[in-house]
Order: sequence, then structure tokens, then C-alpha cells
Amino acid sequence: MKKVIILSSIVVGITTFISCGGVQRDPGRVYMPDMGYSRAYETYATTEEQKAELLKQGIHFSNTPVPGTIKRGELFPFLLTKDAAGDTTNYHASREVKNPLTSMDTVEAERLYLVNCAICHGPKLDGNGPLYKGGDGPFPSKPATLVGDARYEAMPEGQMYYSVTYGKNKMGSYASQLSTMRRWMVIVYIKSKQAAAHPAGASAGSSSSASADSTAKK
Amino acid sequence: MTNHRPTVKRLIFSILLLSLFSLGNRLFAQDGKALFQTNCASCHSPFKQIIGPALKGAVDRIPDKNLLHDWVRNNTKVLASGNPYFTGLYNQFKVPMNTFPSMTNGEIDAIFKYVEAAQPPPPPGPGNTVDNKEQESDNTLLYGILTLILAIIMFVLLQVNSSLKKLSDDKEGIPAAEPVPFYRNKAYIAMLILVVFVAGGYLVVEGAIGLGRQQGYQPEQPIFYSHKVHAGINQISCLYCHSNAMDSRHATVPPLNVCMNCHAAINDYTKGPQLYREDGSKVDGTAEIQKLYSYTGFDPKTNSYNLANAKPVQWTKIHNLPDHVFFSHAQHTKAGQVQCQTCHGPIQEMDEVRQFAPLSMGWCINCHRTTKVNFPDSSGNGNKFYSIYERFHKDLKNGTMDSVTVENIGGTECQKCHY
Repeated sequence: MKKVIILSSIVVGITTFISCGGVQRDPGRVYMPDMGYSRAYETYATTEEQKAELLKQGIHFSNTPVPGTIKRGELFPFLLTKDAAGDTTNYHASREVKNPLTSMDTVEAERLYLVNCAICHGPKLDGNGPLYKGGDGPFPSKPATLVGDARYEAMPEGQMYYSVTYGKNKMGSYASQLSTMRRWMVIVYIKSKQAAAHPAGASAGSSSSASADSTAKK
Repeated sequence: MTNHRPTVKRLIFSILLLSLFSLGNRLFAQDGKALFQTNCASCHSPFKQIIGPALKGAVDRIPDKNLLHDWVRNNTKVLASGNPYFTGLYNQFKVPMNTFPSMTNGEIDAIFKYVEAAQPPPPPGPGNTVDNKEQESDNTLLYGILTLILAIIMFVLLQVNSSLKKLSDDKEGIPAAEPVPFYRNKAYIAMLILVVFVAGGYLVVEGAIGLGRQQGYQPEQPIFYSHKVHAGINQISCLYCHSNAMDSRHATVPPLNVCMNCHAAINDYTKGPQLYREDGSKVDGTAEIQKLYSYTGFDPKTNSYNLANAKPVQWTKIHNLPDHVFFSHAQHTKAGQVQCQTCHGPIQEMDEVRQFAPLSMGWCINCHRTTKVNFPDSSGNGNKFYSIYERFHKDLKNGTMDSVTVENIGGTECQKCHY
């Protein structure tokens, strides 16, 4: 019976070895880590503390572009700065800013709206996206009803642009997610949807020239 | 008889009046919700301070109904009259309230009636959520026990066999050979050596190949950020946070201001299912949002940031391609139209992110061999860039090729990824 005991213990051992799965909290071993992990400072791999450490060694390292840098093919930046808390000077001044786009890719503009805005303002621009869900979603305040609310239909595009760039009430700034051109594309898309909801052209003179031009930009 | 008539009439009349009144009440309650959502909900919640104060209890805080009506209709007038309560409120929030000059007293009362009747959602608990953890059963143990039982049966039968053989040998008078103990039995030793050789070789090769591969790696992150809650339940597009995936080599981990787009307002976790870590311990979602505030230096009470306290979150990087491999998210998502889930797995169902793909070269190459390129067809659909591949277009037209894969256009050349 010794045989049976030894063999069965081997079988039990193998079974436990195989069934040892569980959560893998460790990345495992790497052969030649200097080939596995970059020796260069990769994007998002360097923290502020590490940067300060590098500066002590005389290594000047900055991963943000020089202020005022404009990307190739990008529009000129928005010149109005953010109002201080409680001030609305620039918010009102932004009414005069006109949409600089002359033509745009409407399919891309719709995609940008659906990715970045529809989550709160709704795919139908009714201010009832999945995060609000008529008050059942996690977002506590009602997002703006972009189509169907006279306040937002009459809002000049420049003021909308100001709100998207710097944030308004509980909406944050989208300047880090959408470039200058993309922010304008989204606003032109919203304005075109608002104009489409009122085919008589009753909206307060805000339907833009670009919304009519649906040719894709090359 | 005639005496009774006025009483009956009065009774019927009063019943009618009563029913009308109660019906009107119900109408008010329904209207109240709609009115609240269109006019007030952008800045007020019944239970929470958002841009303005929480409205529940406002009726008790302002006993004078006319004052409340005036305030809602035109708050600047009330402020100008120097009411101490409202002046205090204005100084606390610093945001002037919108005016609603066309709102009637009945509408305002309906709104406050709805606000007073509204109930906050119950906190997530084991009672009102389905526990998914229990449903995942593991069959490995069952298979192990089965194997063990079969092995024992095999050895019992072998024993029986040898005993029977011995018995029959005894009967026929064949002298029994001296029994060899199993550790000196050459057949057993040969078998054992073979098994050890094969198993050892397999494990060594697997281990060597697995060096530097992290499939299944699932580290604990500084904040329990659940992709299931964000991308699954709340349907936030992957590109909302990883906004560079279509433009850059990196999909980008979002900066914390992207989190604060929503979490400046959402400061507790009450509406989703109870969250668990992989080891089964419970996660307090509200505490995890508080961790985000500690990183951003945000104070939800004053709704302001103290940037002196802000510090970056040091997320643990999960997917790591070796330094000698070039990979671009933009090429795959924008030109290749590959879905995030193809490589990252069912990310919208993961509470804690796990590396789904092995990220081995064989895995890359297999996909490059089988994935079809979005070649422009005769009607002009598809990626126009590929129109430069004239020979493939000719072959497609002739029918010598039915589709073009990534490999055909050089997707398995060494220099595509290693340079």
C-alpha cells in the first residue's frame, strides 16, 4: 500500500500545482529588464518628483510644450482668458467670437459629440444622457438641454465655445480632451442640430455658415 | 324627501370637490418633477449641494411662502431688499440664481412639493445588489478529485492483477520470481524518467517563453477605478478618457481634470452595485472618490481646489511592450479600425483591469496574418490610402485574391515594429 500512498501524493501535488491560479498581482520576471522597460523617460512614466530629481542632476526635462505652441494644421487659439470666480466679463465678451471653421467633416464632428458630450447631454441633445438618465443616473445636476431649450438655442456660438473651453457650472473644461478645432466642430454640430429642429430658421441668428457646408475637409 | 335633496346635493358636490382637489394634488406632484428637472435640476438637487443649496427642507427654512415665491421669480429683487437669509445664501454660493419671472405660485408650490416628497436612493448593500462573485465556480478541484479516484482505482486493479497472477502461478507450480520493489523495477524507473523529462522540459520551455510576458497581470491600483462602473454601467466611451488613442502612440491615461469633469459633482457612490476586489474584500466607492479628491486637492464642501495639496496618481502600468517594439494606438484604432476590446478584452466588465492578451510577438503576427485591410472598393468605401497598392487592386479585380491582409501590405516585415 506504500505505492498507493506515494503515487496518490504525487497526483495531489500535481493537481494543487495546476489549480494554483488566483489573482496575478505580480508582473513576473523579465529577461534583460533594460530591454523590457525603456531606459528613456517615456510619456506618463515620469512623475513630478522624478523630474525634480532629474533637475538636481542638471537634466532639464519638460514634457509640456512651450506656452503658445500651435499644432500644425490647428486653428489660432482662443484669446479670451478664463474669468476669475464671480466675474463674467470674458464670458459675456465671448458672445462676439465667431466660428472660424469654414468647412468640416460632419461625420467626425458627430463622433466627437457622441464620445465627449453625449454622455451627459444625450445622443439626441436632449440633456438626458446615460449619466443623468432622468435623475436616475449618478450625475446629480441636469445637463443642459441643447435642443429644445430656448436659452441654449439662442446662446451665441462664441459663448458656447467659452463654456466648453473653460467649463460652466458643473461642466468641466474640455480643452484637454478636444483641440481648438475639435471644440469648434462640436459646437458647429450642436448648432446644426438646433437649426435642424427649427427648419423655419427661427433660431436666433446663430446657425453658422459651416453647418450648411457638409463637405469633408481634406 | 324634499328635505333631503339639498343635503345629498351638498354631499355629492363636496365629494366631487374633494376628488378634484386630490386629483389636482397628484397632477401637481407629477408636474413638480418635470418642472424641477427642466428649471431647477441644473443647479439644485433635493439632497445635495451642487451649484446651489440642497432644496429639501427649504420650505421649513423659509416659512414665508410669498417670500419664497418672490425669490424664485426674481431673486435680484429680494437680494436688493436686503433679506438677511438670502444675502447670506448669496455670499455662501457666490453664483446668482437664474430668474423665473413667468412661474406661477402653483408651479413653485408643485416643485417644492416634489422636492419634499423625494427620497434619496438607498446605499448599495448586500441586500439590494446581486452578488456576481458566487456564480463563478471553478471545476479544477472536481477534475483533480476525479483524477485521483481514477488513479487509485488503477493501482488497486494493478495490485489485484499481480495477486491473481501470483495465485495462478502458484497453482500451476511455476516458481514465483523474487518480487522486485517498485523503486528498483526498471519499467517504473523508465516511466518516471520519461515523465520527469517531458514535464520538466515543458515547464522549462514555458517558463523561458513566459519571461517578460504578463498575461493576466492584475495589479492593485492606487485608486480602485472600476472600468465596469464607468465604461460598462455608465456607458462612457473609452475615448472620453483615453482621448488620444486615435491620435497618438499612447492611448493616454487621463489627467485628473478629466475625472473631475464628472466627479466635481458626483461625490458619492450610491447607485451602482457593491464593488469587490479580486480577493473578495468589499470596496467603498465613496471612499475611493475621496481618494481622488485627496490627489486633486479638491474640497467638495467649498467646491474649490487647493493646488498645494494636489499630487499625481502613480498608477501601475499594466501593459508593457518591450522597449525594442514600436506600437502605435493611432495606427490600430484610426487606420485599422480595431476595437479596444480586441486587444484589451472585455474591459467594460472588469472592476480591476487585467492584461487580457499575452502581447507576445506570435500573438501580434497571428492577428496581422488574419486581419483584413479596409481596401477601398469600386464604390469608394474604405481607406483611400490603400489605393497606392495597384497590384493588389488588380488581383482583387481578377479574382486571384479575395481580400488583402495586413501581412500582404508588409505587416509582418521586421522593420515595421523593430527599428
